Amino acid sequence: MIINVENLIKKYDGYTALDGLNFAVEHGDIFGFLGPNGAGKTTTIRILTAIIKADSGNVLIDGYDVFREPMAVKNIVNALPESNGYYEWMTAFEYLEFFSHLYEKKTSKQEIHDLLETVGLHRKEGHLIRSYSRGMKQRLGIARALINRPKLLFLDEPTNGLDPKGRRDIHDLVIDLNRKGGTTIFLSTHLLDDVERLCNRIAIINYGTIVKIGELDRMKGKGSIEEIFFLSTKEGAL
Amino acid sequence: MADYTSAFAASRITAAIDPPSIQANMGDKITYIGTITNHSDRAVNNVIAYISLANVTQGKESPMDLEDWSANKAIKVYTIPPHGTYKGQWPMRLIDSGSYVAYITVVDKNDNIPISSPMSRLKVKRVLRLNPNNVLPVAIGEPVFIGMVFMLIAFKRRKRVK
Amino acid sequence: MKTAFIMQKEIRESILTPKGFSWYVLTSVILSVLSYLFLTNSELSLLDQGQMLYMIMNFITALGILVGLVFGADAFAGEVERGTMEALFLSPVTKAEIAIGKLGAALTNWAIILAISLPYLFVVGKGGQNLLIGIAYVAILGTFLAIIFSAFSMGLSSRVKSVKNSLMVTFFIFLLAGAPIFLSAAQRRTWFGRILDFINPFACAINTFDSVVIDSQGLAYQAGRVAIICGYLLLSLWFLKRSVSRLEM
Repeated sequence: MIINVENLIKKYDGYTALDGLNFAVEHGDIFGFLGPNGAGKTTTIRILTAIIKADSGNVLIDGYDVFREPMAVKNIVNALPESNGYYEWMTAFEYLEFFSHLYEKKTSKQEIHDLLETVGLHRKEGHLIRSYSRGMKQRLGIARALINRPKLLFLDEPTNGLDPKGRRDIHDLVIDLNRKGGTTIFLSTHLLDDVERLCNRIAIINYGTIVKIGELDRMKGKGSIEEIFFLSTKEGAL
Repeated sequence: MADYTSAFAASRITAAIDPPSIQANMGDKITYIGTITNHSDRAVNNVIAYISLANVTQGKESPMDLEDWSANKAIKVYTIPPHGTYKGQWPMRLIDSGSYVAYITVVDKNDNIPISSPMSRLKVKRVLRLNPNNVLPVAIGEPVFIGMVFMLIAFKRRKRVK
Repeated sequence: MKTAFIMQKEIRESILTPKGFSWYVLTSVILSVLSYLFLTNSELSLLDQGQMLYMIMNFITALGILVGLVFGADAFAGEVERGTMEALFLSPVTKAEIAIGKLGAALTNWAIILAISLPYLFVVGKGGQNLLIGIAYVAILGTFLAIIFSAFSMGLSSRVKSVKNSLMVTFFIFLLAGAPIFLSAAQRRTWFGRILDFINPFACAINTFDSVVIDSQGLAYQAGRVAIICGYLLLSLWFLKRSVSRLEM
């Protein structure tokens, strides 16, 4: 298992964001993490990437305890947050170069070029980020998330606001990373199309707990993903 | 009320100021010499002598506050022997342009009135200094230099990035 | 090393963007106007050289404080608002390393401003007393004050997470720090003025400059004021450390 979450609880000012979350993710999965807005998806990702602390519970990432060994976890995971800002005065190359310096694993200039080629930005690597479209920025964000060649990559709503071509580009990238690179992908989204196309396993979260988890194909046997999602997240579904 | 003429005649002390006139520029440093003479057969003790300045420029007539002009405006003279003299120095920095009169006043507590010297005329000319302390090369040069550095950095960056 | 790269990023942003570089141009223009006025204006130019040097030293220090406050206000709040903080937090960099990197950049800004100010100090103080010792004091105490106000501002920035609110508070702090300048010499000798002087690190610095440059007093005489400034230095660094450690997305 690359992710093992047990009884995760997180509260904010009396509001319970995560209420005893339990789930696991295997190496090599493209794991879909679905839920309505406010279900706790982003909070979960932030805890798993050691950005914020939980109130209680256990989280192991590839055997590392997230709460005791946050730096070790950060060296092997990375993420594209939902609202990712950029240093717009930098070029794409400078942006990746900056982040590459923050990791133990060094990234050469050639590797940065290759990374930009992987995400389709090699022709624009010398352009200022402020000139980039939204889709290009998303791809740059993914490049930044790959700078340390992570074993586990978190993508939080990666296709939000993108046109169909942009979405397809991201899909292809994710599939490539998983199949060719062996990267485990944790995909948080409320877009069911993305889930159907990309994921092999999914979990549905609502009000801070997992309401459904399992292999996508097996779940689809019981109905469409849309039906399963709406049934699982309607009022009283818990 | 005291009779000034008879009081003057009765005073043991006279005062004089040198030079009788000065023409100088703003910012110059000058020194007045005040001479206090004891005409009596007895020593005079603990007299106070101070310098005064009045602006007599047409339309600007007023007494001057010597705060910025001189650090030592008053001198205490402990004793002047019979028929002796005391010479005091009053250095001054000429802060503002205009026409002035300067005079020394001596106060002896045993007298009824203070004794003043004749007035010394002082004309201070305004001097236009365009580049004091060689400030212009720095005041103009440095912002220009920094502006050029910035433009060079911006130009090089624009060349490197698109 | 990561601290160095964060510092390098911040410095590059200062130099490569108009937002940063405009402060250097502004410093130079204002100092040009001030120094020219001092030396050519009929009344101002007849101030004692030491007095002129003292006034320019105060201005340079005040400018260093202002730049520190403004950059500090943006340090964390700006990154949160622009959405760049999360990517930094995802990297294996501690919050302390981020804070030290940003503080290092703030000090570099101060160093650049001081370097820009040096020719003006030499020109205004030429021929006067205590020029070199004055420059040494403005460099050392100015650096301490730059750290104090930058650190406080950054700490505030990490707590408030809003650049607008952070800036409002920092400007208020700047006015408070500069309050002694607005009091007359007589008011500063009252009990209120003395207390304000005592608790205010900027007032301690300008009183030290006065004592060194105009009254030619030695280091031993400044010990009390320098000790107060050092106290504030430790307090500001503690405040920054504590504030940043609590910073969460």
